[in-house]
Amino acid sequence: MAQSSASGATPATTTSTSAGGLSTKGLSAGSVGLLGATVIGISCIAPAYTLTASLGPTVAAVGTQMPGIFMVGFIPMLLVALGYRELNNAMPDAGTSFTWATRAFGPWLGWMGGWGLIVATVVVLSNLAGVAVDFFYLMLAQLFDNPGLADLAANVWINIFTCLAFIVGACYISYRGMEATKMVQYVLVAFQLLVLIWFSVAALIHFSDGTAFDALGFSASWFNPFLTPSFSAFAAGVSLSIFIYWGWDVTLTMNEETKDPERTPGRAATLTIAIIFVLYILVSVSALMFSGVGTGELGLGNEDIQGNVFAALAGPVMGPFAILMSLAVLSSSAASLQSTFVGPARTMLSMGHYRAFPKRFAAISPRFKSPGFATVIAGVVAWVFYAVMRVLSTDVLTDTILTLGIMICFYYGVTAFACVWFFRREVFSSTRAFLLKLLAPLLGGIILAVIFATTLIDSTNPEYGSGSEIGGVGLVFILAMVLFLAGIVLMLIMRRVDPAFFQGKTLTKGTSRDQ
Amino acid sequence: MTRVPNYVVAYEATAQGREALELGIAMARSTAAELRICLVLQRVTAAPAKIHAASSDFEVLLADQATQWLARVVGWVPADITATTHLLWAESTSEGLIQAAADLDSDRIIVGAARGGLFNRFTIGSVANALLHASPVPVALAPHGYRAPAKVTRITCAIGTRPGWEALLDSLVAFSDGLGVDLRFVTLVEVDAAREKQSPAAAGSTAHLDAVLAYYERHSTSHGIITTEVGTGKSVEDAVEALDWRADELAFVGSSRLAAPRTIFLGITAHRMLHALPVPLVVVPTSPRP
Repeated sequence: MAQSSASGATPATTTSTSAGGLSTKGLSAGSVGLLGATVIGISCIAPAYTLTASLGPTVAAVGTQMPGIFMVGFIPMLLVALGYRELNNAMPDAGTSFTWATRAFGPWLGWMGGWGLIVATVVVLSNLAGVAVDFFYLMLAQLFDNPGLADLAANVWINIFTCLAFIVGACYISYRGMEATKMVQYVLVAFQLLVLIWFSVAALIHFSDGTAFDALGFSASWFNPFLTPSFSAFAAGVSLSIFIYWGWDVTLTMNEETKDPERTPGRAATLTIAIIFVLYILVSVSALMFSGVGTGELGLGNEDIQGNVFAALAGPVMGPFAILMSLAVLSSSAASLQSTFVGPARTMLSMGHYRAFPKRFAAISPRFKSPGFATVIAGVVAWVFYAVMRVLSTDVLTDTILTLGIMICFYYGVTAFACVWFFRREVFSSTRAFLLKLLAPLLGGIILAVIFATTLIDSTNPEYGSGSEIGGVGLVFILAMVLFLAGIVLMLIMRRVDPAFFQGKTLTKGTSRDQ
Repeated sequence: MTRVPNYVVAYEATAQGREALELGIAMARSTAAELRICLVLQRVTAAPAKIHAASSDFEVLLADQATQWLARVVGWVPADITATTHLLWAESTSEGLIQAAADLDSDRIIVGAARGGLFNRFTIGSVANALLHASPVPVALAPHGYRAPAKVTRITCAIGTRPGWEALLDSLVAFSDGLGVDLRFVTLVEVDAAREKQSPAAAGSTAHLDAVLAYYERHSTSHGIITTEVGTGKSVEDAVEALDWRADELAFVGSSRLAAPRTIFLGITAHRMLHALPVPLVVVPTSPRP
């Protein structure tokens, strides 16, 4: 054999690192500027989708205090994201709650952290697909001027199978390893922002004309989150707010991709949140002023429209241009659906690799270089989850969003505490370390834990969410419990089948000071 | 200074990747060249989703897996061939391969071309297709199920009458330098089934082949039997099938005049030829490297 390795010590290096050529890591090093990073941030948040899914449930929880809740809801997200950034810098080869929590707390909590992330993404996938289905039929109805078409979405079987089509499409694109280009992303983001501003302005014009559905005079007290009727309502609102900012933290952790890793991520994160803040406040205030919080036909308190408010409000507010809203939400949720698939698939791949999941999950498609098996499983599970919910729940979208809030609180919380624990030996080494590695994630983690516990307890009430119940217990609670218990059971089975991971043989526990 | 030629093998852990490797082995063995077995991974370009930076875990695992794939390839390379393995990241597979060919000063890129085609015939996969539109060096396409023969016994060169065929011949001369293989020059002629077999077109082709032959013999140092043939048929595909093909031969074809200077653009005729061809095809850009 006349073999020689072209690359010295490590076999996995490139042949050259010429400028603009090949880099050793998969990230396009130094290619993203401030604008690009901001677009990525907004695109991750997917504001059109997020707002249509969360406005209703938030009003149901906190009424007119929605703008205030949206503002305080950002605080735990910010605190946790600061901790995330530290973990990301300390362990650049790890990138998920699973690896971080396992390194900090060992296999058991690490496994559950990974599970929480997978469950949250599977739930959001099914919600995204559900919203896409609604808007798909609404758009057809608007396009052909035939309102009957929009009602097709109400048919359970048509709905479930259209959802399947969307999930299969997104799954296929992810499996093929295809990715939306930057240009597509810019256009989608610009379009979403434009339509949402259009919607808000149109709603405000209706208000001043006196043609609003249930005109509600503006009040500065809406911005006071402490006027919420109870702590339970406050907790539910914050839990939903975490959902609306979900994805923002991505901008903070983009290092190598950015042109100026020192400054760009921080600036992009600030710019993103500024734009999102203004947008959310504008939309929530204008929606309140147009619709009020009543339970009338277009009232934000109406349970029939809560899970997807723009579907109901776009027509009355925007008139013939409502189809633009359908396009914006449909494109936003479809693009999000596709990009979100990557998350659980890669987490499952990682768990498969470290033998926390069966080996099959670690399979990488040789042709498309994507986590093939994990992607398919994510699709199947998301669809089955959606189908079951569609049959069980009277308002599948509201209930999934509430469940999602609980799940996000859980895995973000675990990660925040993982940060504190992982860095415990060095937090007193500097003021910066104290603030970013201890105080911020600890506070964030505690807030999330309180919100998590409160919403979980409140969700036992059959009135919670859509009011669906099983045996007098709220569906959201049952759902959350089933998902957690399923995780624990699967973890125990996995422990029996392949104990290596649980004995710390594949991924070791440690702190930032062990090297 | 003697330069050892080297060929980039576009490897992936699939049947197509294996076919590319086999063709690389066949060509390297004939010409005492070395192989640069390259596996290209797609660089992450799209935005992450709501899920926090899930990509870093994935990249590490992907690179691990790719390294294992490359390690396994090494076992398939026969002892008489020198090969190195390379793991590359690029925006797209074809870009990575072209970059690699430039960085490694390679003479050819070898790729498994088949993708779901019927009956051992070429259906060009997307990577091969992209290479055929952008590569500055000749691209060799391995057909479905290809395995390296002990020796390449014949090279067939399809010659068109358009200007630029000298470039193809120069590439062929370079490849067959000092080799003991048979050479066959063919032109493909589409004839109307209704018309006579010995059409004026076919007669013109014979005259053209003589000119080609003369050019080749002036430049070549290879030793082997040289033949000429005219393939005729109702279509290019039929004309290709009208010729006999050995399992252990290679075909050469030039790229179309439509190409930007020094890049390949597979002409319509060559494209259709490809569909009917049972042997590997080397596509030479109009103006190869000096």
